[in-house]
Amino acid sequence: MFIHNFKYSLKTLFRNKMLIFWTFAFPIILGTLFNLAFSNIADTEKFDIIDIAIVNNDDLENNEAYKTVFKQLSDESSEDRMFNTKYVSEDEAKKLLENDDIVGYMKLEGETPKVTFVKSGTNQTIFKYVVEEIAQRSNMLSNIVEHEMKESVMPENINTEEILHKANELAQNNEIKLKNISNKNLDYMMIEFYTLIAMACLYGGILGMVAINQNLANMTNQGKRISISPMNKAKLLISSLLAGYVAQLVGLALLFVYTVFVLKVDYGNNVGLIILLSMVGSFTGLSMGVAVASLVKASDNAKSGILIGITMLGCFLAGMMGVSMKYVIDKNVPIINKLNPANMITDGFYSLYYYDTLDRYYFNVASLLIFAFILIAISFFSLRRQKYDSI
Amino acid sequence: MENVIEIKNLVKQYKELKAIDDLSFEVKKGEILGLLGPNGSGKSTTINCILSLLNYNNGIIKIFGKEMKPDSYDIKSKIGVVFQDVSVFDELTVYENIDYFCGLYIKDKETRKKYVEDAIELVGLKDFKKFYPKKLSGGLLRRLNIACGIAHKPELIFFDEPTVAVDPQSRNNILDGIKTLRDNGATIVYTTHYMEEVEILCDRVIILDKGTILASGTTDELKELARIEEKVTVEVNNLDDKYIENIKSNNNVDEVTYDGNTLLVTYIEGKNNLVDMIDYLKKESIKYNKIYSERPTLNDVFLELTGKELRD
Repeated sequence: MFIHNFKYSLKTLFRNKMLIFWTFAFPIILGTLFNLAFSNIADTEKFDIIDIAIVNNDDLENNEAYKTVFKQLSDESSEDRMFNTKYVSEDEAKKLLENDDIVGYMKLEGETPKVTFVKSGTNQTIFKYVVEEIAQRSNMLSNIVEHEMKESVMPENINTEEILHKANELAQNNEIKLKNISNKNLDYMMIEFYTLIAMACLYGGILGMVAINQNLANMTNQGKRISISPMNKAKLLISSLLAGYVAQLVGLALLFVYTVFVLKVDYGNNVGLIILLSMVGSFTGLSMGVAVASLVKASDNAKSGILIGITMLGCFLAGMMGVSMKYVIDKNVPIINKLNPANMITDGFYSLYYYDTLDRYYFNVASLLIFAFILIAISFFSLRRQKYDSI
Repeated sequence: MENVIEIKNLVKQYKELKAIDDLSFEVKKGEILGLLGPNGSGKSTTINCILSLLNYNNGIIKIFGKEMKPDSYDIKSKIGVVFQDVSVFDELTVYENIDYFCGLYIKDKETRKKYVEDAIELVGLKDFKKFYPKKLSGGLLRRLNIACGIAHKPELIFFDEPTVAVDPQSRNNILDGIKTLRDNGATIVYTTHYMEEVEILCDRVIILDKGTILASGTTDELKELARIEEKVTVEVNNLDDKYIENIKSNNNVDEVTYDGNTLLVTYIEGKNNLVDMIDYLKKESIKYNKIYSERPTLNDVFLELTGKELRD
């Protein structure tokens, strides 16, 4: 009976046009639109070296991270050259900006970078993004070093800055765990695709919601009929959810195949880990559907709306409609992205792409699993009810 | 005879509203029990309580001699339900829908296949096996709804207003199917607010209103509760008031109504009234189109008991 219910649940899900659109077609359509929009930007920007200035002060002189990275990204001999950087005083930088000779300038105040623009645009966004990226990474590197110093017995006369300097030297030689930032790695289109996959994973929640609703006597007429059958409720729900999960994975597989072979998206080398994260993400999406179906007292359409709304908001905050949003949230309200499953998925992919270590990746996988199990545990109390006050 | 269902002192309350008020009745093995009552009288609520879908405030419900609970799977395996609302999947064909619901009861594939074919035959959907529900007419959809509820050959079947909004052909088909199920040994609880169906189908009737039993018995027993024994209807135009007064003066006449076209006379006793009326019309040279006599219906009983029509 488990297989019987699984088989028919799968049939009903695959024949449901609304579900097929949201879980299969919509991510593919969105991916195509991203590709059209961003490939144009990428082509336009390909040969465009961005003119910037950096205020040459003592703080810059003492900060190896910014010095090294901007030196690399402005290297005239490099194919990946991104910036034409002028090291000037603050007054000169202001003058250059007024004359439109540069898109913006950066000034370090202590360890805090301050970026100034007079206009907004793609070049300005890229410059700001790079500065924030360096800030984030150098801060993380400092944290790692400080952490290691506390954990192990280190000679007190070695200071953090010195280690950081050495770490940056290693970075130049590609021997450090952090990959260096190059034009290829800065392909911000990838973040859009990561959030797209996150969205596809979380849209699977609709499948979970439908699978649950079909079995609940207080939600659907079919649920009433199923509830009076002699089949164990737990078995029914698990087999229906499993069908929802399988349908979702099929949708994701289609999305991957389409983006890789049609849109030529390069997800990197960690295919196994990408699949694992997608499966965990889908499970989390499914759990969101279960939670909305069992905890929200509303019509089917209202529940779908809530689920789609939550997913879209999560993806927006994770950077789907603009990469900078992810960083704004990370910087100003980090708790939101820590609790945002779309960000957990996006960040997991991001960490695979940018880091050689898997710590951050596994942290995200674990966070997603914990998130999913909490939702399922809460939903369980509602789902175990077998009688209703009204139907 | 053995009781298949026993209900004692059932109470179901929705906040201030008592939907079922101290309801007690039994259903005997092999009978068709009709639950008759207007919308909101508590018929569906009673069924949902019996099926353990609804919580209830008080009472005992036993089916096949055992207390019915949500996890009484042995009892549930012998029950079939045809709900008032069509409860099928739009994404599955007629055959698949019946096979799916039947498969929740019957494990063996071969047996199930036979049962599904039997159900399709019974409700007359042989030519529509591969149709999706959206392609079916209202009547055919109702038949599919019935097939999904009875395909596993249950011993006890609940029909909750299965003929609502159904064309006459489908209604006859449905009623014939229910008789066949009874003839095959099933015990049936049939709720409706159509008294004609109850009169055709049911061995015993319970008349419900506001969650309480107003009366119960066979249809003949219930009809005896009506104050009148016969109704004579005459289709006649422009009847003068003096004739109406003359008819009213007859001691056996309970009530006379006339709307300009139809004269309706109800009699306390049901002997020779039609003949007497024809004689009177002849004597007064009154021309009429049609004249006929009827025995009181359950609607008259309901009217008698509650002062309102069943369809109110």
